[in-house]
Parts: sequence; C-alpha cells; structure tokens
Amino acid sequence: MRSTEFLIASDNMKTLKFLFTVFIVMAFMNVHSQSQQKIDMKLDDVGNSKLTISMTMNGQQWQMWLQSLGNNPAALKREAQRSMPAYFLDDFNLEKNDMERSFVLSLNAYGACKVDKRGNWILETDQKNANLTEITSHKYMLVSSPPEFGGTVQQTFTIEFPEEARNITVEKDAFGKSIFKFQMKNSTAGFNIMLWAGILFLVMGGAWLVKNLAQK
Amino acid sequence: MKSKLTPIILASIGALLIIGSFFINDLFKSGDLDVTIEKADFIMPAAHRVYANPQALNGKYYLFKAKITNNTNRTLEDVTVKYQIPGYIDWTELTVSGEMFPGQTLVVPCYPKFEDKITEKTTESVEKAQIHISWDGATKDDTVEEEFSFKLTNRNEYVYTGIKRDEISTWSDMFDNDALIACFVTPNDPIVKYYTQNLQEKLMKGENASVSNKPEDGIRLLASIYEGTRKSHMVYSGTKGIPQSTEDVQSIVQQVRLPREVITGNTGLCIELSCLYASVLSAAGVDPIIYLIPGHAYPGFKMQGQYYAIEATGINGEGLGGIMDAEAAFKKGSEQLAEFFKAAQNGDPRYTLVDIHAVNQDGATAMDLRDDQFLRGKVDQVVALWSGGTPVDNNPNQQPDTRGPGNNTIVIPDDNIRTSALSFTIPNGWQTYMKPLPEMPILTAQVMAPDQLTTVSIYDIPVGSAQQAMSTIEQYFSNYGMSSQYQINGSTIAGQTYSNNGTFNWVGKALRANGGIRIVAVGAPDYAYNQKTNEINRIFNSIR
Repeated sequence: MRSTEFLIASDNMKTLKFLFTVFIVMAFMNVHSQSQQKIDMKLDDVGNSKLTISMTMNGQQWQMWLQSLGNNPAALKREAQRSMPAYFLDDFNLEKNDMERSFVLSLNAYGACKVDKRGNWILETDQKNANLTEITSHKYMLVSSPPEFGGTVQQTFTIEFPEEARNITVEKDAFGKSIFKFQMKNSTAGFNIMLWAGILFLVMGGAWLVKNLAQK
Repeated sequence: MKSKLTPIILASIGALLIIGSFFINDLFKSGDLDVTIEKADFIMPAAHRVYANPQALNGKYYLFKAKITNNTNRTLEDVTVKYQIPGYIDWTELTVSGEMFPGQTLVVPCYPKFEDKITEKTTESVEKAQIHISWDGATKDDTVEEEFSFKLTNRNEYVYTGIKRDEISTWSDMFDNDALIACFVTPNDPIVKYYTQNLQEKLMKGENASVSNKPEDGIRLLASIYEGTRKSHMVYSGTKGIPQSTEDVQSIVQQVRLPREVITGNTGLCIELSCLYASVLSAAGVDPIIYLIPGHAYPGFKMQGQYYAIEATGINGEGLGGIMDAEAAFKKGSEQLAEFFKAAQNGDPRYTLVDIHAVNQDGATAMDLRDDQFLRGKVDQVVALWSGGTPVDNNPNQQPDTRGPGNNTIVIPDDNIRTSALSFTIPNGWQTYMKPLPEMPILTAQVMAPDQLTTVSIYDIPVGSAQQAMSTIEQYFSNYGMSSQYQINGSTIAGQTYSNNGTFNWVGKALRANGGIRIVAVGAPDYAYNQKTNEINRIFNSIR
C-alpha cells in the first residue's frame, strides 16, 4: 500500500534523507527484525560528496524493494533527487546482487558542504546530539536508528573528510544540532604563478640594482 | 650603464607580470559561473505554505533549485543569490556564501513565501521568477541573471502531479501530489468552524468523539455530517478537470471547491465532499482520512488503530442509485473500505489514503481563510433546513419536481447521464472506421482527421455507469499495454491514455444508450493537443 501517511517519514541527516527513498518500501511491511544499512560518504576538496549505500535484505524485503524501486532505477533516481532537494545528485550507479539479496548504490551529491561567512566549511547532520565516533582524524562514524522505521533499521554512516581538511571539530549550531566544522585550503585557489613570478623578478631585479649601485 | 640595465629589465618584467596577472584574472573571472536551474511548473496557491516550508513533505515542493559552480580560477567572496516574482514577492536574498572556491558547487533551493492573500486568487496566470547572482567585486557584466516562467493556478485548482511527463511510469507518478489534498482541508476556516459548531449543537445535540475516543462516537459524528448534508439537500455535482501542460509537465488540473464553498453552495464532487468531511472531523478533533481509489474519493476517520469510512456521495450521485440514508452510506463506505484494504494489501498502487493530520504534521497545512458574514448567513440558511425537519425520500424512482425550504421533499437531481443517443458533427474529409478493432468489440467506431492526429472514438459498453464503462475500457487497454488516467465529472470525462506511442489527451461525454453506456471521446497526442485544441473543443461541444 502506498500511503501518503507513510510519506511523512524522513531521515534525520539532511545529506542522507535519500535513505528514506531506499527504505520507503520498508514502511509497507511489518518487519520485526532489525535491518542494517551502510552508508559511506566521501567528501572531496570542494565540498562535494560521493555516497555509497549498501544493504542486504531478507527475502520478503527484497521482493518488495524490487517491486517498488529495485526494478525501476529511473524512479529510484528521481525519488532520491526529490528526497534531497538541498543537493544536486548525479552519476547514479546501482548494482544488485539477487543471489545475496543485496544492492550497492553510488551517486555524487554536489554542494554537500557549505562555507560560512567566516570561511569555515560546514557539514550539517541536522541531528541533535548525534552519536558520532572518531575513527581517525579524518574519518567519523555515526550510528542511528530512525524513529520513522520503528527501530527496525540501523544505519551506519562513515564520513570521510578529504586530506586537505584541517581542524575538524564537531560543534553545535544555533539550534543545538550537531555540525562538522573544518578548514580547507582549496588546492586550485590562491596560487597565481604569474603574480608570484612577477614578484620574484621584481625583487631579484631590485636587489641586483641596489647591489650594483652599492658596489659603485 | 650595462650593470644597471639588466636588473632594470628584470624588475620591469616582474612589474609587467604582476600587472598582467590581474588582467589575466579579469579575463578568466567572468562568464565562467555555471548555473543550472530546476524549476516547478505549477504553483498552487492552496499549497502556498508547503512551498514556503523547506521541511514540508521532505522539502520536495520548491519553486526552483539552482546549482551554481565556480568555474573561474579564483575564489569568489560573499556570493549572494536573490530572486523575485514581480507582483508577488520582492527581491529576496536566498543565501550568502562567504567564500566560493574554484570548482566548488553551491546548491540553493528556493522556498517562496507568498503572502496569505494569494489564497484569494481566483484566476490562473503565468508568472515569471527572476534570479540574480552576484559577489564581492562583481561588475554589472559579471553578475548572473536568469528568469523562467511558471503557472500560478487559482486557489481552487489542484494539480495531480508535478513529475515530468517523460518520467511518469506508474500510477503513483500520475498522482504524485496526493498529500497536497490536505491543503484543501480547512478545519480552521471560521465558516467551517461555525458549520461544525452548528452540527454539534443542533444536529447532534452534543458530540464527544474526540473526548471519549470511542469508535461508535466517531461513527455518530460521521453519520451526522452525512445527515447534515442530506437534510440540507446538498447535491452531487461536477467541476472542471482538464489536462494542462507546460514545457515539461502534463497533468489533470481539477477545480476543487473549498469546504466553505461546498457548505454554502450546497453542492460538491466526491473529493470536495471528502475535504468537507475531513475539515469537520478535524475541527471536531477526530483524525480524518481521505481514501483515494481510481476515479473516486471518500472520507472517513482513524480511531484506535482502526479505519472507518462513509460514502459521502450517497446524498445523490451518478451511478449510486439515488439518496441513501446515513446507515446505508456507512455500509457502502465500509464495503468500499474492505475492498480498499484488499487491493492495497495486494500492492495495487491505485488505492491510497491521505491521513490528514499526519500530512499536516509534515507541513502540508491548510490555507488561511477569512471570516465572512455573508457566508455565515448562508450557513444559517443551511442549518435552518436541518431544523425544518424536511423528510428525505429514499426512493430513487421518485423524482419530485420542486425544492425549497417550504417543500418537505428533496429533489433527486437529474441523472447526469442522459438517455438519448450521443451524436457529434464530423468535419469534412474525416475518415470513419466502424468496428476498427475486432478484438475490442466495445469500440463501435473511430473517426480520424486527415492528419491522423485528432481522433474521435465511440465506445458502447454494456454496463450501468460511466465509472464501470471506463473500468471496462481500461481492462481492454491493458491488453494492449495501455493505461489511462481520467476524471469523471457528471457526464463529462477528461483524461490521458499512455501507451508505447506516447500520451494521448482526450475529453469526452457519456450517456445511457442501448442498455449500456456510450462514451464519445475526442483527443490528440500530447505533443499536438495544444495546436488541436480548437478543433477538439469544436467537436466536443458538438456532442449531443
């Protein structure tokens, strides 16, 4: 049954609202066992993200998922795009493993991070007191069990920041929600070879001239 | 002299390089901000609060979404995105990004905040949205300006879907805006509140469904709303529902009278009656539900995990066999509910429900409507009919000829499907094919324009109602891999048929003929529909 009632379900993490789409079918079933979903989020040095979502289902879930979205990747893509209006998504790739009743979906999400007025990069979780664990200095893990699914789904996110990211901290925004704040020098910005060569030549020429004048 | 010349040349080259670097930067800095816009094609004033709320319904109802990529070789500072809708919204800042690095992408969704008075809009219009992107140090030539147009419907129009026509693949896609029905449920409308208070006081002599939380009290309330409509001689009547297209989206656009208009106009279509019931139930504190099935809608409520329904159009309606009493309407509603859940559990996506309060919580809230003394007076007139104790004649075979407060019988309106044969004017040069598809015996004839685009189809189906006739046609269509989306308004039917060859838009009429139903439909492929509109309307209007 596709009920508008069920459409109210939404994920807590903005970037991962898409999971709602992947999971829309779960709301149709009386699933009592807890399912696991793994989401890898890899950020690049311009604030975009590569998302990889993987999941294994039981037979009933798999059939329902195939019926609703699994066999209609175009609809899956569209629902994902509509579920994440804050981002632009592209480069979708869905790999299904019917034998294991699992799938791996990857996509690019543009504009996953923003830069505030002070030049800090911000990644929002849209979640109060997010259960975050630091794995390495550039990798974090977040485990959540969205209430929309009645605790039947456990989502494990890994968030990997780019090497250029520095001073990664978990802070709270004005509304008490957890955010990642970090600094990142853009590799393609700030260095102007022509400008620096000009300065070098000017300094060398000036120094040479001063030296020659001093020798005289 | 030579000892000075070389370092001077070296320093001069350095100075030139420094100056040149700024010019080169200037050369690259303009024209390389890449902007992509995704826009909405329809904006419904009734849902203006949904469009204004980024959290509503997962934020999928935006006016536009801009993807801005910095393809220059320098960092842009304080990138500002503004928009305006002339006549509705002045220049409004959407975002300021402190820094935007080369290669970085900024995604900016726009959730427009229209003024509440937009719900007074009674005509459709095409409006323009203008977008302006600038940053620190940008000259007038550097800034980016974009604009697009969209259809701003009137307050009564409900657009069934916003999904692009190329992407529609399922029934659910064709009715993607189901949740927005909740915007037409207006429990806080002072006129609806006044009507509800009268119902509770004068008809029910006290009501406590939301307090007792007992299903029997909820059913009593449901039955009382039905009795209220029946005793006020409310009648079932159709409104306009026609296919409309924009560049990308094609959808049926249905005129939905607001609950206050149903009460004071004393007439409503199934979806309008459902919205009225939902408004009154909600105003009384009960959880309203609207059930949507192919070609029909009916109201009910949810209590203690159980669902209940009533056939609101039992007051009288096409194909329903006259006026039912409240008990019969509830029985009919319960039967439909059983079918609903059976179909839904079998995974039939055409059977959906809208839990009004749940959808309200997700941001699809009702529009604001002002109090109106004139309408209150009309409610008083309706309420007077209740206390007038006008008995209801439940015999559908009797057709009383008068109505009014002084008359103690109510009129069962004329059956919308007339009992004469349909005919229409065939333009010169058109070809008529009798029984063109032997495998589809219900298709009596087809008349085709010389360009093979506009087609008139005549169906004779041995069933009792237009709804059953359309269901039969759909069954035949499914054998050919086709499906239809349609709306029946009295004797008028409008819809779209989907097949491998594309979408075919049509309008038609239905009537009783030869012991069954005859349907005459005229239409054209979607890509040619607009250019053939005059021709189609001429034929449609000639159907007698």
